Amino acid sequence: MAVSAATMTVASLGPGAARIVIAGDVTAACEQALMSAHEKASDTGAKLIVLDFSEMEYMNSGGIGMLVTLLVRGQRRQQRLAAIGLTDHYRQIFELTRLDEAITLHDTAESALAAR
Amino acid sequence: MTDTLRAEPESPDAVVNSEPAEPPVGQRAMSRARRRADRRAAKTASKTATKGAARRAVPAADTRAAVIDVQIDPSDPLLLFLQSAPGPLEIAALPAYSPAVVRMKEQGVQMVVPFVTSGELVGLLALGPRLSERTYSRTDRGLLDSLARYAAPALRLGQLMRAQEKEARERERIEQELHVAQLIQQQFLPSELPELRGWHLAAFYRPARTVGGDFYDLIALANGEVMVVVGDVTDKGVPAALVMASTYALLRSAADLSSSPGEVLRRVNELLIPQIPMNMFVTCLVLVIDLDTGRTRFANAGHNLPYVRRDGEVLQLQARGMPLGLMPGSAYDEHETVIEPGDIVLLYSDGITEQHSAAGEMFGFGRTAELVGEATSGDDLVDRSVLALNTFSAGVEQEDDITLVTLHRGQSGGHRDTVSFTVPSEPGNERDVMDRVAAIVDGLLPKARLDALKTAVSETAMNAIEHGNRGDASLDISVTVRRTAESVTVEIGDYGRGMQRDADIPDIDLKLAGLQTSRGWGLFLVENLTDRAEELTEGDRHIVRLVMHTSDHAAAGPTPQTTSGATPLTDPTGSES
Repeated sequence: MAVSAATMTVASLGPGAARIVIAGDVTAACEQALMSAHEKASDTGAKLIVLDFSEMEYMNSGGIGMLVTLLVRGQRRQQRLAAIGLTDHYRQIFELTRLDEAITLHDTAESALAAR
Repeated sequence: MTDTLRAEPESPDAVVNSEPAEPPVGQRAMSRARRRADRRAAKTASKTATKGAARRAVPAADTRAAVIDVQIDPSDPLLLFLQSAPGPLEIAALPAYSPAVVRMKEQGVQMVVPFVTSGELVGLLALGPRLSERTYSRTDRGLLDSLARYAAPALRLGQLMRAQEKEARERERIEQELHVAQLIQQQFLPSELPELRGWHLAAFYRPARTVGGDFYDLIALANGEVMVVVGDVTDKGVPAALVMASTYALLRSAADLSSSPGEVLRRVNELLIPQIPMNMFVTCLVLVIDLDTGRTRFANAGHNLPYVRRDGEVLQLQARGMPLGLMPGSAYDEHETVIEPGDIVLLYSDGITEQHSAAGEMFGFGRTAELVGEATSGDDLVDRSVLALNTFSAGVEQEDDITLVTLHRGQSGGHRDTVSFTVPSEPGNERDVMDRVAAIVDGLLPKARLDALKTAVSETAMNAIEHGNRGDASLDISVTVRRTAESVTVEIGDYGRGMQRDADIPDIDLKLAGLQTSRGWGLFLVENLTDRAEELTEGDRHIVRLVMHTSDHAAAGPTPQTTSGATPLTDPTGSES
């Protein structure tokens, strides 16, 4: 069961920005998938990575831990991370864990881009 | 003792002024140096022997057996002398009035090298004559001096480490004892409150670090009534836990013979007196309730008086009597009252009323009575009380066990039902547990509360699978879901020994530095997403109980502010944001 139950799709969001659509279950098991998606997004030269959680079904503390790892990688490349499509519940979890202080929360990709 | 080099991390005075009854510290500090000297002497002897020219009187041909035996008494002036010695010293330069010096001279010691660091004598090296039979040269002395300079701090470090290891072992032993006391105690706390016709019972128990002797019990009597018992053994630790266990057993057997609370207390007192240690006693309150009519008879052996909330007023049930185990022949008056539909009764230990704040103030009866007055249900009263107490005592360690038992007589009779299932401990199964619990409580919780409970259930199940059962797929984790109109309770059991760690207050920098774990964050989420989260033990099972109310009423909501207080899963003050 410890296989990744999430799929990561990378899409461009115009110059200097990329979107990673994260679908399914976000747990520690999808670290590989997320990190390679991040590589791919970084290869486009993106300085803003928008994580799109609108198709996410579930995230646990292992998944949160993985986002923290992603945060370091992003910081090393002078990237900013934003999140969109979070349900109220996961917004609450981002706030409780203060992840929202490092990954800015937006309603849409447009507002994430506009906030650059 | 002579084969161990013992650390003495205390001041130099401690080295010198130890009680004579204690193993002489100086002697112990001496031993390694002595063994070195022994080896040295033995070497000398063997060399001399092979040369076939044993011209020296001291190490005779069989010095291998002639151990240099220099015992230094802690009061020997030599110790003080060496402490301020400038470096290696000829035996002749040492105070001749020291008994140790006399003995060293007798055994051919020529040179003594004190190991001094930070002004403390940590050891010494006693050397016999040089093999060349010449006296020790300036170079020799210089070499020995450097040796002492390098070796002394290293020796001191080694001694300190040993001392620390010993302390750690001692701490571990104490922890172990506390764990045993806790286990004994928790064996006797009902982890499941039975279904009572139209009555809702809630209980909260949080041991102090030192574990007191609180207990509570519910006993179904032969005549259909229910006996509710709360008690508190004076004293702490394993002795209190044992007295608690025997009181518990005596109460149960007395309840078999009599349904009269006064008679039960009288019997238990008589039986307890011959077996209770001196200076220990047990306070105990017994209520016998007729669930259908609310008629309640009660008697008290020195325990806190229960509060009753009735129509917004707060009453106290009055009954007094000697604590159990103090005086033979004590009698316990029986009182009677009727608990009306809608009434809430609070039984509690003095762990709540006598808890102090950081300012030194006691929580007291006034605040407790106020909480009762504000309560909307038994669960609500427990939550409010725990929250109020945590806020009140922020920054202060919990002084005594805290036990709260509430009885809430429903207006029309409550309905509650239970669903249980198990899953094997395989990674990923926490997701199934979450979905199944969500299906079981379908429609009972508003969406936000359901989502919060789902995450808490999944995190708890993941802990049970990965840590409690260590991912052993042959072990199941058990899940029990209880539903009432008021709340949803989920209990997740494993075969582990509990959290054994605290929740982390998430800090991204600490997480990045590897100082916080996903698990620590998971625990934090569980505490903050539920109305109550607590650990208990049932036989060989470790259980985490999560409580979620069906609506957001005043005392509880899935926000860190309100729930962080009501979570005895870990340090009560730790998650206050």
